[in-house]
Amino acid sequence: MIVITNNPKVRYAFEGSKMKFVEGQYLDVLIKVRDEIHKHFKLLTHPLSGSIKPNETPYKSIALEPCDILDVNSLMMIENAILVHDKLVNDKPTPEWSDRILEDFMIIDLDLFYHAVVKSV
Amino acid sequence: MRLEIGNINIQDIQFGDKTEVKNSILYVEKEALINAISGDDHIRSIDVEIVRPGESVRITPVKDVIEPRVKVDGPGGIFPGILSKVDTVGEGRTHVLKGAAVMTTGKIVGFQEGIVDMTGPGADFTPFSKLCNVVIIAEPHEGIKQHEHEYAVRLIGFKAAKFLGEAGRNVTPDDIEIYETKPLFKSHEEFPDLPKVAYVYMLQTQGLLHDTYVYGVDAKKIVPTLLYPTEVMDGAIVSGNCVSACDKNTTYIHLNNPVIHDLYKLHGKEYNFVGVIITNENVYLADKERSSNWTAKLAEYLGLDGVIISEEGFGNPDTDLIMNCKKISEKGIKTVLLTDEYAGRDGASQSLADSDPSGDACVTGGNANMTIILPKLDRLIGHQEVIDVIAGGFDGSLRADGSIEVEIQAITGATSEVGFNKMTARMY
Repeated sequence: MIVITNNPKVRYAFEGSKMKFVEGQYLDVLIKVRDEIHKHFKLLTHPLSGSIKPNETPYKSIALEPCDILDVNSLMMIENAILVHDKLVNDKPTPEWSDRILEDFMIIDLDLFYHAVVKSV
Repeated sequence: MRLEIGNINIQDIQFGDKTEVKNSILYVEKEALINAISGDDHIRSIDVEIVRPGESVRITPVKDVIEPRVKVDGPGGIFPGILSKVDTVGEGRTHVLKGAAVMTTGKIVGFQEGIVDMTGPGADFTPFSKLCNVVIIAEPHEGIKQHEHEYAVRLIGFKAAKFLGEAGRNVTPDDIEIYETKPLFKSHEEFPDLPKVAYVYMLQTQGLLHDTYVYGVDAKKIVPTLLYPTEVMDGAIVSGNCVSACDKNTTYIHLNNPVIHDLYKLHGKEYNFVGVIITNENVYLADKERSSNWTAKLAEYLGLDGVIISEEGFGNPDTDLIMNCKKISEKGIKTVLLTDEYAGRDGASQSLADSDPSGDACVTGGNANMTIILPKLDRLIGHQEVIDVIAGGFDGSLRADGSIEVEIQAITGATSEVGFNKMTARMY
């Protein structure tokens, strides 16, 4: 499993796992994941995890694993996630949140990601 | 399984010396209620307020809404596995304080959502503005963890609903509705010529603030299974879902799920409503594959001709919805999908994050990105500062005149994906 995230709490919690930490926004994580899918990785977790919208939370964590071929389902899923992101951000950009709220978003992203992958590895 | 629902109409709620129902008024002994729901070490204080339809009140952030019910006959108690033992419920008689609700509020995370206006344009978008609500304001101790706070507020809401529901135990209901589902083979013997239909009930199950419980079990950890529809009416499914206010199923919505109630209306006449398949919406893709395989397997195993599938939440559950639809359709079973839309403010963008040609019968609860201006109301219960950081709001949502501009996704129940709302579409 490889973890791609821009969430510092996920980086810390999954220290020791194979990881690509993205210094950037939600969209940068999606694009990094798309790049990896083109390099024959497949998605293990859904890129639109959580009901918090892509123009609300700045954080995203996604798990992938190597794949022999280009996984078209993963590619469709990440492209759709990018479309959803762009649609919502074009209407309303992600606000400049306070540190307290950013911390909450990190915790929720970590919790969802943790519950998704830890029981499964 | 046969359940009588005895509706006791509640037209007003008032504080009184004793908790009781008299002449369609629910009197609440405030201190006794607070005592009954206190005791969690994480909670510093609890206060209770009553709000009624038409009052100039805004409640936010609303966490859950729960209908007071009491089991007066039959096995088990309300909210099995949570407040009652794990006896299988859904049989006997249950009394309902119809028109009353418990509403919990709490700033569990800094970023919040869930507005209920009791009057004005916002009130038209939430079904809970039509109820007399007992609002529970539970303030936590400093330093409490988010999941501890969510758990405490969730339990407080259920306890309050149970406490109030007890007031209906010995009251003669204003009307009694009877719901009955027989075991599968008996049901088929009774209605051999009717098409067999079931309800595929998708539950939000992803983690912190995104969870649902079935008989007390975290539904992330279940594989799809079968329920008698009446089990849901006794609180077999409860909400721990605090995100996406417009399309989350509050516990009130679970108890009154209109898909179940409406399917019963023509049961035995136009079709045979054989039961409910519950399933989850997990983040891990293999879980989605497994669960959708199981819903399709169960639908086939039941010999169904058709299913209604409802979604809960935004984003990745679109994938579960489509997987369920596709795999059930491949079994030769007809599907109707219930969802809502995030189609952008102009409504012109793609509504869901996934799609498939088999999803050719789809009902929408509305476009959650539609904006609305909510005027300033006289009283606010909850956290004023939350409004500026609310889902569907944006910088400057809270205007100088006290009005707020938000997407309707901020309003609790606005685009319900089980149809527990008032939105409709008309062509002219």
